[in-house]
Amino acid sequence: MTIAQDALQLPHLNYGALAPMLILFGAAAVGVLIEAFVPRRSRYALQLVLGLGALVAALIVVITESGTRELTAGAAIALDGPALFLQGSLAALGIVALLLIAERTLEPGGPFVAAAAVTAGTEEDRTQAAREDAGTEVYPLLLFALGGMMLFVSANDLLTMFVALEVFSLPLYLMCGLARRRRLLSQESAMKYFLLGSFASAFFLFGIAMLYGFSGQISFAGIHSAIQTSTQSTTLLYIGLALVALGLLFKAAAAPFHVWIPDVYQGAPTPITAFMSACTKVAAFGALIRVLYVAFQGTDWDFRPVIGAIAVLTMLVGSILSVTQTDIKRLLAYSSIANAGYILVGVLGLSKDGLSSTLFYLVTYGFTVIAAFGVVTLVRDADGEATHLSRWAGLGRRSPLYAGLFTFLMLAFAGIPLTSGFTGKFAVFAAAIGGGQSWLVVFGVVSSMILAFPYLRVVVMMWLSEPGESTPTVSIPGALTSATLAIGGLATLVLGVVPAPLLDLTNHAAQFIR
Amino acid sequence: MPVHFAAAHGTLSSIWLLVAIPLASAAILLLFGRFTERWGHLLGVASVLASFILGLIYFFSLRGLSSPYRAASLNLFDFIPVGGLKVQFGLLYDPLSAIFVLLITGVGFLIHLYAVGYMSHDEGRRRFFGYFNLFVAAMLLLVLGNNYVITFVGWEGVGLASYLLISFWYDRPAAATAGKKAFIMNRVGDAGFVTAIFLMFATFGSVNFADVFNGVASHGAGQTTILILGLLLLLGACGKSGQFPLQAWLPDAMEGPTPVSALIHAATMVTAGVYLIARSNPLFTANLTLQTVVVAVGAFTLLFGSIIGGAKDDIKRVLAWSTVSQIGYMFLGVGLGGAAYALALIHLLAHGFFKAGLFLGAGSVMHSMKDRTDIRRFGGLWRYMPITWATFGLGYLSIIGIPPLSGFFSKDPIIESAFNRAGWTGWLFGSAALLGAGLTAFYMTRLFVLTFHGPKRWTEDIEHPHESPAVMTIPLVLLAVGSIAAGALFVYSPFNVKDWLRPVFNNPAAEGHEHIGQWWATGMTFVVVLIGLAIGLLLFRRGTAPQEQPAGPVVAAARANLFGDMFNETVFEKPGLYLTRALVYLDNRGIDGLVNGLAALVGGSSGRLRRTQTGFVRSYALSMLGGALLIVAAMLAVALG
Amino acid sequence: MSHSILAAAAGQMGTGEKVFFWIFGPLALIGAIGMVWARNAVHSALFLVLTMLSLGVFYVLQAGPFIGMVQIIVYTGAIMMLFLFVLMLVGRDSSDALIETLRGQRTAAILIGLGFAGLVCTAIARAMGSVSAKGLDAANQANGGNVQGIAALLFTKYVFAFEVTSALLITAAVGAMILAHVERRRENRLSQVDLMKARFAPGNYPGPKPGPGVYATSDSVATPALLPDGTFADRSVSKILPTRELSGAESAPKGTER
Repeated sequence: MTIAQDALQLPHLNYGALAPMLILFGAAAVGVLIEAFVPRRSRYALQLVLGLGALVAALIVVITESGTRELTAGAAIALDGPALFLQGSLAALGIVALLLIAERTLEPGGPFVAAAAVTAGTEEDRTQAAREDAGTEVYPLLLFALGGMMLFVSANDLLTMFVALEVFSLPLYLMCGLARRRRLLSQESAMKYFLLGSFASAFFLFGIAMLYGFSGQISFAGIHSAIQTSTQSTTLLYIGLALVALGLLFKAAAAPFHVWIPDVYQGAPTPITAFMSACTKVAAFGALIRVLYVAFQGTDWDFRPVIGAIAVLTMLVGSILSVTQTDIKRLLAYSSIANAGYILVGVLGLSKDGLSSTLFYLVTYGFTVIAAFGVVTLVRDADGEATHLSRWAGLGRRSPLYAGLFTFLMLAFAGIPLTSGFTGKFAVFAAAIGGGQSWLVVFGVVSSMILAFPYLRVVVMMWLSEPGESTPTVSIPGALTSATLAIGGLATLVLGVVPAPLLDLTNHAAQFIR
Repeated sequence: MPVHFAAAHGTLSSIWLLVAIPLASAAILLLFGRFTERWGHLLGVASVLASFILGLIYFFSLRGLSSPYRAASLNLFDFIPVGGLKVQFGLLYDPLSAIFVLLITGVGFLIHLYAVGYMSHDEGRRRFFGYFNLFVAAMLLLVLGNNYVITFVGWEGVGLASYLLISFWYDRPAAATAGKKAFIMNRVGDAGFVTAIFLMFATFGSVNFADVFNGVASHGAGQTTILILGLLLLLGACGKSGQFPLQAWLPDAMEGPTPVSALIHAATMVTAGVYLIARSNPLFTANLTLQTVVVAVGAFTLLFGSIIGGAKDDIKRVLAWSTVSQIGYMFLGVGLGGAAYALALIHLLAHGFFKAGLFLGAGSVMHSMKDRTDIRRFGGLWRYMPITWATFGLGYLSIIGIPPLSGFFSKDPIIESAFNRAGWTGWLFGSAALLGAGLTAFYMTRLFVLTFHGPKRWTEDIEHPHESPAVMTIPLVLLAVGSIAAGALFVYSPFNVKDWLRPVFNNPAAEGHEHIGQWWATGMTFVVVLIGLAIGLLLFRRGTAPQEQPAGPVVAAARANLFGDMFNETVFEKPGLYLTRALVYLDNRGIDGLVNGLAALVGGSSGRLRRTQTGFVRSYALSMLGGALLIVAAMLAVALG
Repeated sequence: MSHSILAAAAGQMGTGEKVFFWIFGPLALIGAIGMVWARNAVHSALFLVLTMLSLGVFYVLQAGPFIGMVQIIVYTGAIMMLFLFVLMLVGRDSSDALIETLRGQRTAAILIGLGFAGLVCTAIARAMGSVSAKGLDAANQANGGNVQGIAALLFTKYVFAFEVTSALLITAAVGAMILAHVERRRENRLSQVDLMKARFAPGNYPGPKPGPGVYATSDSVATPALLPDGTFADRSVSKILPTRELSGAESAPKGTER
């Protein structure tokens, strides 16, 4: 038995179009080597330059490749409009998040622990908390995660998608546990995220098995054609659809698979929370729309009510629960859940508009939320970030500039016009109406009304109360955080006032290939 | 005839400057902070003056256009192009917008000028003018938008500015609470507006005024859709304009500085609801039930407001309830349709002048009485503040409709139109409007007499009330001139508003249905007004007790806002509170009524739901498994069932 | 690999396959249930080994010898044994409380679990009526064998996914290093001389530590040895062992007594 060598041909790989992912994975591997061979004190600068360079290079390549519309690597990867758009957004949001992650002026050594293996709470831990150096493993991990996310949004079969899911999840689990302060909380959140993430992955895998049982294929095109032609019982198809959707909805933070979000967002180091809330959402929804639009097109009438019900539940749970939150990070976490609901509404437009508005929303939300968490990192006292809402009372007097910026971001979340939050919501709701899903929009409007209340409470808290003894100070951000805040705030404003160019871009990109 | 707005050219292609100038000024004031401390307020005044002058120039160039094409539409850029829906950032300058622009910038300029004096001792004057300019810009955008989305952008903008200005003195808890209440009640109205916008898009495929109106005209929508659409818009209008059942925030909003009350909560922002209905006139005219609802809301609110106004002792609250009541007249007018649209608009303009004048007069009184607002502790002030007395008096005579002041020309025709509505409802609404006129005369007389005449009932610390400085009295005088002249000017001069607005409300008035003639109506109104005035004069000529007196059921009810808050409390708040008990921490102090109840309901369910968030990973996993069970079962049920 | 097993025709089950299935199927199930049920972590691990072995047998039965062997060698052989080593090293007597503190959690878990299983099983059972099984024969023939077939897939269709798996492995390795490796810093590293000095510093006992006491009633490591004068030798008990007496907080009323 010899392998029929002449029969086996390596599939064509369009290296140009794959380059963004290859650059990130390559840079991540170099980053790991830097961890191994470069002395500790020079690692930070090297890693930062490497990471930024890789992300910028990836972004540039995505832009130059923006005309590409093809299946490559044996049809395992689809580089079409949505994939390239999402890869570009991931790179852009990744750059902004990286700036936040790399900030080291707010506290000596930055927000990441110097040696994660030291048991929390011990004497050794206290000495290391004062150390000025910090672990730099987070940079290669970030690059791995972003590379995985890029693959996730362009995967054209379920196996590749699953591998990508794991590739970007594992670094996220790790990064959640690396906080310098409140380490037990951080480690607990990492552990929870890991356990629940594995649980969800198991469902995803189970769903893949069901779909394979139905169609004998795992490529999206294969499943799609099987739906059109197959005479097999469709029971397997629907179980598979439900379970695959579950795996993706878990990452996207839709109820009732949202339970991990508040704990993880609260426990993780804030820059990582910012990264997750922007980029993980982009990745999860990117994959979800591909699965729903490419593989399951033709079963619209069946999954629409179910996913619609999930969207409604998500919006209501997110908005209602955010009302009683007393911790700013948890508040933003629940708001992120509600926003997942709004994006789902756009997804369920199930049309070109639905696709383009979802893409638009993901980008606008990403920039706003990174900037919001950026402000959270600034409000500190001796114990690190002061996240309890009562501590934010009177912040407007202490630091009108940052309180003003945060107010603006809150108004954007509340969907006040001339912010990107309004245009984004308008776009997804309009797409849902266009797709005949008015009932979702009604719930969307109701939920965003409820959600305006907690945002307003933060604003009122900051501006209309006297600063007390316990009101923390707002640290002066370094250049990196300032850049993050400026980019996030500007994007929120510009995409609210002149969203047309980006909407044109998403419209242009909104065409999947199969 | 399909509605079509010609593209702007010539002078009118620069109408965006109207919005841009105050916006730029607001940006400078708010962003550059302390650098602008010295000259910031002057910039604020100048920017509004510039807008006013531009408004005049545009007004005359619009007059220069021939009548059927008197409109200029200007598309600045594509705002939100989502697939089939193209929302443009477009402006529309037509006769309706034109008079609103003049009102906003004209009255706005005078009030800005007044505020220079009024706020001269306040630390936050620069911030105040920043917000104030922001408000003017947003309000101009509201009336200049050429589609519902841009109108909504302005709508939210004025809401935000008003919220910031109400709670401007944030160190007063009442001010902060009032700001919150205004914001939340407005959100209820806004939700109606947003839903209406989406419904329009779903029905007509566009949110442009022209497309929507043409869609209505060509029967592009069923009567039910039009009714729902109209009711949703009405909900939005009620929220913004303080009409029943969303009236409670407006009187509380008086916690803000007086110029704010004058500009936002009397002259301009609160009339946005009237603007919305007038702008959507093709839609409202298309459904009779809809018109009846609008008329009913207006009639009910005007009575409601004037009854409560008679029992309040706070000078600004009386005026606020009076505003609620007068806007009720405007709603009545726009609800009647036909020729009454123009009447409502005339009343809106006249009201803009005399109510702004009354508020500024009240501010002037408070200025000299150390910020006291209780009319039971005023009295005899006419001797000390003659200018304020005279201007306030003119406003007072105008609002109750004494000829030949402006209120007479604007209110009487509305009452007459109400009587002439077809069927028995004409008698009903006509009588309500007539009764309202009498009540208005009563409570305004009470206010005027208790403030300026009768014995002095001042608190001990006030020795010498003094007239306000010129920067405050000049606007008072100008507004008083306005309240004398506006009515006659708008009705009989070459600038008469009816003709001017004909292109907007192009449906010829369906007259002919006359229950009573013009002279009958005028005569009756005049008599009723005189009766109200006389009662007020007789009762309060000798002043009143400085403390609250036990009173009969009517007065007690009116003092309690006609149980409006209590109604909200029992229907909405109590059940919500029972639901929540003390389960959750909820910052609900002071947001009363409906809002509180809803908040309690949400907070209560929030508290319950929150207990599912145990923090244990096994219970999270369990909920995910439950979710998986549900989603699989649901999918199978939908697909195979 | 014998051809008699591989030759199972598409859509049919040979007798041998049936027999093996009915032997190993219940075993796999027992293993899975036992893993969840067992109180002892080592038992759990061993139950898991049983399940994985059974699965390996299934793979082989279904004409996938390569994956079957990999399952047995890698999962059962390498990973589970490593697992057991770790369990043994950490100590098999971990004192995690197994008492459920959340009210209704167990009942709900059992109910929902059974519900999910029931739903999926009935649905699949219904679906199976109209599903025609293909088997792996054709796939195994195509490239001249099972292993060759897998290789062909890995290097053509799934080459990118296969390569990207390396990122996963690197991440895992980096993660293990981050979470477990405590770097010794140069300034903390002690030389031989330092160590010697520390050993003979006052307050330190240079000799080997005494073992715990061994008595007729107890030979626990927590029992201190007796010194010649009859007092306890504190050093004979390791410091990491918790004291066995109840603390004040522990013996305080919990509000559960009648």
